[in-house]
Amino acid sequence: MQPIDPTHSLSAQTRRTFLGSLAGGAAAFSLGGIALSDLLAREARAADGGVDAANPLAPRAPHFAARAKSVIYIHLAGSPSQLELLDYKPALAKFNGTPCPDEYLKGEKFAFIKGHPTLLAPQHAFSRAGKAGLWTSELLPHFRTIEDEVCVINTMTTDQFNHAPAQLLLHTGESRFGAASFGSWVGYGLGSETRDLPAFVVLVSGDKTPDAGKSVWGSGFLPSVYQGVQCRASGDPVLYVKDPDGMLRETRRATIDAIADLGRAGFARHGDRETESRIAQYELAYRMQMAVPEAMDLARESKATLEEYGAQAGTPSLANSCLLARRLVERGVRFVQLYDWGWDGHGTGPNDDLLTQLPRKCREMDQPVAALIRDLRRRGLLDETLVIWGGEFGRTPVAEFRDGNKNFLGRDHHPHAFTMWMAGGGVKAGTVYGETDELGYRIARDPVRVKDFQATVLHLLGLDHLRLGYMHAGLNHRLTGVQGDAKIVRGLLA
Amino acid sequence: MLGATALALLASAGMHARHEATAPTRGVGAGGGGGAGAGAEDRPVDFAREVLPILASNCFRCHGGVREMAGLNLADHARVTTPLKSGRTAVVAGDSDASELLARIATDDANRRMPPEGTPLSPAEVRVIERWIQDGAAWGTHWSFLPRSEPAAPAVDRAAWIARPLDRFVLARLEAAGLAPAPEADRATLARRVALDLTGIPPDAALREAFLSDARPDAYERFVDALLASPAYGERFARVWMDLGRYADTQGYEKDNRRDIWAWRDWVIEALNADMPYDQFAVRMLAGDMIEGSTDADRLATAFHRNTLTNTEGGTDNEEFRMAAVFDRVSTTWQSFLGVTFQCVQCHGHPYDPFSHREYFSFLAYLNQTEDADRDDDHPRLEVERAGVKTSAPILRELAAESRRKTHLLARGSLTSPQEEVSPAVPAALGAVRGDVQPADRLGMARWVAGADNPLFARVAANRAWELLFGRGIVETSEDFGVMGSGASDQALLDHLAGVLVARGFSTKALLREIVLSATYRQSSVASAEALARDPDNRLWSRAPRVRLEAEQIRDTALAVSGLLSRKMGGPPVMPPQPDGVWQVVYSGDAWKTSEGEDRYRRAIYTFLRRSSPYPSFIAFDATSRETCTVRRVRTNTPLAALVMLNDPVYLEAAQALAVSVRMHSDDAVAVRAMLERALGRAAHDGDVARLVTMVASERARYAGRDDVARTLAGRAAEGSTDLARDAALVAAANVILNLDEFLTKS
Repeated sequence: MQPIDPTHSLSAQTRRTFLGSLAGGAAAFSLGGIALSDLLAREARAADGGVDAANPLAPRAPHFAARAKSVIYIHLAGSPSQLELLDYKPALAKFNGTPCPDEYLKGEKFAFIKGHPTLLAPQHAFSRAGKAGLWTSELLPHFRTIEDEVCVINTMTTDQFNHAPAQLLLHTGESRFGAASFGSWVGYGLGSETRDLPAFVVLVSGDKTPDAGKSVWGSGFLPSVYQGVQCRASGDPVLYVKDPDGMLRETRRATIDAIADLGRAGFARHGDRETESRIAQYELAYRMQMAVPEAMDLARESKATLEEYGAQAGTPSLANSCLLARRLVERGVRFVQLYDWGWDGHGTGPNDDLLTQLPRKCREMDQPVAALIRDLRRRGLLDETLVIWGGEFGRTPVAEFRDGNKNFLGRDHHPHAFTMWMAGGGVKAGTVYGETDELGYRIARDPVRVKDFQATVLHLLGLDHLRLGYMHAGLNHRLTGVQGDAKIVRGLLA
Repeated sequence: MLGATALALLASAGMHARHEATAPTRGVGAGGGGGAGAGAEDRPVDFAREVLPILASNCFRCHGGVREMAGLNLADHARVTTPLKSGRTAVVAGDSDASELLARIATDDANRRMPPEGTPLSPAEVRVIERWIQDGAAWGTHWSFLPRSEPAAPAVDRAAWIARPLDRFVLARLEAAGLAPAPEADRATLARRVALDLTGIPPDAALREAFLSDARPDAYERFVDALLASPAYGERFARVWMDLGRYADTQGYEKDNRRDIWAWRDWVIEALNADMPYDQFAVRMLAGDMIEGSTDADRLATAFHRNTLTNTEGGTDNEEFRMAAVFDRVSTTWQSFLGVTFQCVQCHGHPYDPFSHREYFSFLAYLNQTEDADRDDDHPRLEVERAGVKTSAPILRELAAESRRKTHLLARGSLTSPQEEVSPAVPAALGAVRGDVQPADRLGMARWVAGADNPLFARVAANRAWELLFGRGIVETSEDFGVMGSGASDQALLDHLAGVLVARGFSTKALLREIVLSATYRQSSVASAEALARDPDNRLWSRAPRVRLEAEQIRDTALAVSGLLSRKMGGPPVMPPQPDGVWQVVYSGDAWKTSEGEDRYRRAIYTFLRRSSPYPSFIAFDATSRETCTVRRVRTNTPLAALVMLNDPVYLEAAQALAVSVRMHSDDAVAVRAMLERALGRAAHDGDVARLVTMVASERARYAGRDDVARTLAGRAAEGSTDLARDAALVAAANVILNLDEFLTKS
């Protein structure tokens, strides 16, 4: 067993409550690093509840054998049209332009559509791909080459039809602010495999942060040590990771040493072990100053690799994010969350329509995502890495034509059915799960609710979603909700 | 991955409620200790103190207000003693043999035994339940929902130590544990501690010097009174109300557009500085618009509940988000004033505290009659002038009589499932309302919340004061005074303090003064070996705590000791430097525009807070994005916080200014000593000085002949510099000092 540094620490004052809040029972503790005589006894006590408060990111055993060790979640913020990409509905072409049947619209509430909408044909051609012959859009030529690795879910369903609440539901389990994000839960449940990098890294491309803001990678009610750390393509890769201008690297080393020496002298006077923990944080910060830029430096990749992804160092792009995600997972990062903004498609202009914007975004996305799957496979990482792809909801089978504008084609927000896919880490490859109705409006069989999807991902990571809980504001909060009625979707598992 | 030990722990940790619910510190009432085996058999079992904790930690998860499995809700007295679906009765008073509860917890049959998973109840716990039933199964109320009584002052040996009445309570427990209090902290330490606690910044040099050289016996009292009278007091405690009131400068949700509501922040600072009695402070925030002869200031106070989010995204249902705001107001009212988690009652009965689903909506009815309705313009607003700036802030305004809303119970809290109409009423669990008449309206509700009869109002406030000064409340879970909270580590002490608050006419300053003048507060933070052994977590207050400063205190203190801090008060929020690209605003061209002049150096409370993208260096120190009410920030210690202190330009600038202030001393030791003393507010240790002098020498040598790099690091210290390498080295030393554990800590 490797000794583990006391890398992250809750202050002693919060220790009891923190431990008291732990639900579930992922338990672990670390004994490395700290040289206090009474520490061993105290850590042993801390371990009776679960997470070691002095080192809340120490790696912890899962509830049961895991299929995946890490996650790369590619979120297409704004939500691409499933009806132009992977949920092929020839009936829409047949009934193109006809009014949507009344029975679909009873009680229906759209984000933007007013009046009685008409059906809209798929705007791009489909053909079969992969060994299983999955219907796939011509907009995804690269995806076709990795389709045998992928499990497509055409029957995702949500109850939120606006971007921010839908993103929050998907990533935090609640449509309102304040809950903990997916990566935070996983860090809380499993700890970190790396000492030099954050456990939960977020990469953002597409010029904007997701609609719900940084809450989608916040730690909510969980201690903030579990929040996602945004790594950026320009400026400091992690905020404040770079030494101030004019600070020589040797001088930074000298300052860290002086901070530690004065801290130890203080510790000898007052005996507060939080001081020791803080010294360790500074040492880790110093290591991160080296490790983060190294991990984020695409120039270290071969020309061939850069070309395969279509990556180009320096500017944020989904291609760069995909390649960085592989580099981070290789280095032990548990959860890499990608957000790519710009997938909304109402058809109000050339920047959100089905004929110009969607193909443009697909060109940016298709090649690097396929390259990522191939690259992970080549490096032997795909079996232990779960790759997830999708938006926060779907698009309507009817056209939007906002304010009567018919110059561009678009679809409104559609919570009832949408497509996501997963690859690697224990999922059934080369299959399609579930089926929507003839118009792609509602689900015909095998719906996957957001909480079922979350329970299934946790299951692949070796975590029982019912046992991964945290007491807050009087409730045992879980990613999959307080009701405890989420189901693991067995049909997605290999 | 961990080895066998951890796996064994995992296996044994189990997954039953006892592990998730039992805080190791559970202490109920002054006696602490949750009951089982605690008492002799000759006295009756105390339900609230002994039985309730057992039920709460073992049973409520399935048989509480949420799941009510088999129709049994053990949190509801009536349901416990009536026959269940099965025909059996959980508790038959006086007849333990006929009580299914006892049968199921005592059986050896693993298929029938409750709880079904995890460890069975201990024989002592089973015996407590048996005796309770046998004695007649008298129901009781959780301590915090019962009226306060003035606790009897306990006897102590070392009475000479006592400075204020509260010390007697602390001392009695210390003596019972065989411990002596820590000696009094030295004056310099005390000066920094109490100034940070009361004003959020170290003391001004003149005030500090006056105190240190004041030989009068009441020197410390005078110092404390000067701090309490300082306008910085209001700025420090307003931070707490910004968290509780979820104040931000944007509307939240997707667009997160700007919202002008800073006038409310200034109202809070003014009210705190004027020491507005806490009950009136609460009533004004909840219903200042409705008090007779209300002024603009009273109406502005109600912006407290207009800090709720507004959703301006297309296609949203305004009624849905209006209700979301009302739900939030209910939850925030209970969290901030009464320390009860009420949010969960929105969807079902409270899982463990005695509040029903219906009572939730009856209470909500008081807050459901205001004009605001999730409109983009945050109507209605009030024109006011604050800090010489005209602005308008959203406020609460009661609907006219003819347009009042009906309030329905909503099944599962869902707008689409309205049930019967409810009339306004306050929950019964906190005692009968005066004259058996329910408060008529929002103002009546506010007066009930803040009434001297309310068992929670003063306790929660007293606990908050203690938490802010000692780093941990007497009820550690300051957000939950209910059955599943941590309980009070010393209920007598808490009730004494609550009594002081009420007796002093709800003067917050008087309560704070009482505490900071106590011998308990004035102890040194140095732990004796004995105290470390017998009170390792300082549960007995055997010494002063060492607590890391809050995000706001860290910024303000760094700016203050380096001489950069602006003391300008109030007005629109400011934008001190933050890294480029942090704001990526989706739908508008809004941008972070760095403030000029002294607005770069204002106190943290004036920093613009965009909910979807809060100021990053504050978040690293556990500030929140203020989407909902935050009662307690959980302190964390991470490398990201270290990176902020090391590299954030704000702190580098402070280091440069600190270096400038000492570089006229040509002797490195003198310069370093001066920086340490300014930053830490105490005489420097020779060893620390020597260590930093060594570093200054080595770094000066490193920068020698590299003037360009040295100039860059030295920043403002480079202006007029005669020795760039030394100035750069002094900046590096100042950077060290601002990163010292002691600088970041109150001790």
